[in-house]
Amino acid sequence: MADNTPTLWHEFQKGLWQDIPPFRLVLGTCPTLAVTNSVINGVAMGLATLFVLLCSNLIVSALRKYVAPQVRIALYVVIIALFVTLADMFLAAMFPPISKALGPYVPLIVVNCIILGRAEGFAQKNPVAPSFMDALGIGIGFTLSLAVMGAIREILGFGSIVNIKLLGDWFEPWIVMILPAGAFLVFGGLVALVNYISHRKTAAGTNP
Amino acid sequence: MTDKTADQTETKAAPLAPPAQPAGPSPDKLIVSSSPHFLNTESVPKIMHTVVMALFPAVAASVYFFGFRALLLVLVCVGSCMLSEYWMQKIRKKPVTVHDGSAIITGMLLALTLPPSFPIFGAFLGSFFAIVVGKQLFGGLGFNIFNPALLGRAFMQATYPVLITTWTTPRTIAEAVDAVSAATPLALMKFEGKTTPIMDLFVGNVAGSMGETSVIAILIGGLYLRYKGYINWKLPLGYLGAIAVVGGVFWLVNPAKYPSPLFHLFAGGAMLGAWFMVTDMVTSPVTPLGQWIFAICGGVMAVVIRLLGGLPEGVMYSILFMNAFVPLLNKHTRPKVFGEIKAEQS
Amino acid sequence: MNTFTKMFLNLTVVGVVSGVILAVAFNGFDPLIRINKEKELKESIFVVLPEAKDYKVLEKTIGKDKLTIYEGIDAAGQPVGIAFKADGGGFQGNVGIMVGLNLDYLKLKGIKVLDQLETPGLGNRISEPAFEDQFKNIEITPKVEYIKNRKPEKPNQIQAITGATISSDAVVKNINNAVARVLKIFPKQEMLKLGEGTSPASAESKEPKK
Repeated sequence: MADNTPTLWHEFQKGLWQDIPPFRLVLGTCPTLAVTNSVINGVAMGLATLFVLLCSNLIVSALRKYVAPQVRIALYVVIIALFVTLADMFLAAMFPPISKALGPYVPLIVVNCIILGRAEGFAQKNPVAPSFMDALGIGIGFTLSLAVMGAIREILGFGSIVNIKLLGDWFEPWIVMILPAGAFLVFGGLVALVNYISHRKTAAGTNP
Repeated sequence: MTDKTADQTETKAAPLAPPAQPAGPSPDKLIVSSSPHFLNTESVPKIMHTVVMALFPAVAASVYFFGFRALLLVLVCVGSCMLSEYWMQKIRKKPVTVHDGSAIITGMLLALTLPPSFPIFGAFLGSFFAIVVGKQLFGGLGFNIFNPALLGRAFMQATYPVLITTWTTPRTIAEAVDAVSAATPLALMKFEGKTTPIMDLFVGNVAGSMGETSVIAILIGGLYLRYKGYINWKLPLGYLGAIAVVGGVFWLVNPAKYPSPLFHLFAGGAMLGAWFMVTDMVTSPVTPLGQWIFAICGGVMAVVIRLLGGLPEGVMYSILFMNAFVPLLNKHTRPKVFGEIKAEQS
Repeated sequence: MNTFTKMFLNLTVVGVVSGVILAVAFNGFDPLIRINKEKELKESIFVVLPEAKDYKVLEKTIGKDKLTIYEGIDAAGQPVGIAFKADGGGFQGNVGIMVGLNLDYLKLKGIKVLDQLETPGLGNRISEPAFEDQFKNIEITPKVEYIKNRKPEKPNQIQAITGATISSDAVVKNINNAVARVLKIFPKQEMLKLGEGTSPASAESKEPKK
């Protein structure tokens, strides 16, 4: 992995593997489990979260010198809620089917730990540029995670990917994969896989 | 008494006053250690052999009623379970214990809970899930929280909900009726308000899961196991008793709407569950009070699901649900009353 | 600047700015959201009343029972039937159905399942056309029924989805309940009068919506 000097690239890439939200930080599991029954839903949810994360990190970072520490969480929540509401209205106006499929999970981005966690843990201590890169990396990592979850569940649960039939008629879809139980199974499997690969890397000495 | 026996028999014997019936030669002294307690591995194959024998009447009945496809499913499930166990133990770099026979019993039990027309690949997938997720991921024999066979069955229920509820009429009465998509007695009762003659249920001349239909075949096996001393009588008695009592209360309140307690006992998976799944020693409590609570709550729940829930049958979920409480029951029902035998050892 | 002032300013400024942004965005998005919802409603009404080209909203309250129905109107301005929503529990959650009823109150014109959370691949087949189309021209007296594994024999029967009796049952039950409510609140005589062009005195008609 990269060196430890906090370059912008470093802030960006850490979200893609080292701190990939659902699998390494185990944050944001609610949408990860709830809306990943297809690739499109997963990516839409990931992009909505990415948008909110980028905006809130930017604003929080820009305002970091003017914020009274006693009320910072309240401020962050207001800022996050602002962008979540915007994203929600945007989806309902422009993409009603996706808005319907995601249901209450777009408004629930407000309480997504990733966003508050990045605001509190990173953006409030760092300048705008690194905060932006941090949000971009974490957001893309989150989107990719949801896309992978969605892909596995869609392939096994519908025999298709992005609504394109992938497996022939011989394949009897595993209904369980579209159900909540399947989300937990896939999630557990992916956490195990990511940990396994990380441990192997650590053992090989590539990641001190 | 499914996947686990010899060591557990020993484990259970410890807190109870008279050691229940040690499976093999008794150990010289009481060894206190955390589970799993492999005290008496020589006798494991012997006990497993006995359980396989006990399941044999049910398998034979399923072949009689549903033809050789039933036998094929049993063989596929047993083979897949053994293969999965072998693979997982190789991958986990653990000693391979396929020969202890616990995987055979998991496979047999899983097969007996499937409909006769269930596809082969589904049987393989269910067996794989039962062993890999239900047993080996928890740490293998003795560490699993849930009964592996039932977990495999529950996975199949969620994965192939249509296939696993597609029943066939037994071939003994098939010639008159359309052989495909018959309804089980429980489904007939729940959705169409029809009851099935008790005698048909007792013999097994009804549609249903291959090994669950014939009450008499299961009873022969269960009583044989009881005679051999491998079954703790509290568990089947508590489970079946609770089903009869709760089913009976509903029946007395409204006999027109609810079926008789005998119907509850004989229909669906109640018998197979009570004799071979509730009694699984890995996934049932070790204390007498815990066993009573476990069995009775399970029975109550099975009837509640049957009569008030959305599904016609509740045995599988009732046992899995109560499995989850076993650690809690073990913790809070330590036998203080039986404290004469060195309470600190429990 | 003391702490209190800073806190006060922080919250006020952020709150006011967010409020203003949201108000502006709402003004922009809300008409679109309304159009989407209306389009959805309209499409579902036109599916269950195939001849309809437009519809009227009729609302009526009897005691606490408030009911909204939609009267479908064809190209010539003649009423072709009424549509209403039927809600009720299914296997996992609410099953919401748009039901189209002939003006003679004898037969269904069609149904469309709008919301459902039934098991994918099993219960959710209630929203497939193959199941929905069965309800065309099904008689509602004495009530709609389902039978299993066989072709329907009577004019008030449909065939349940194999393996999904509970979901099929929910659809039929919700339709029967909703039909019963409509029959009670909008009795047949009134609707027949409506068909002759006289507006019922007790029903409050709204402007036709495009």
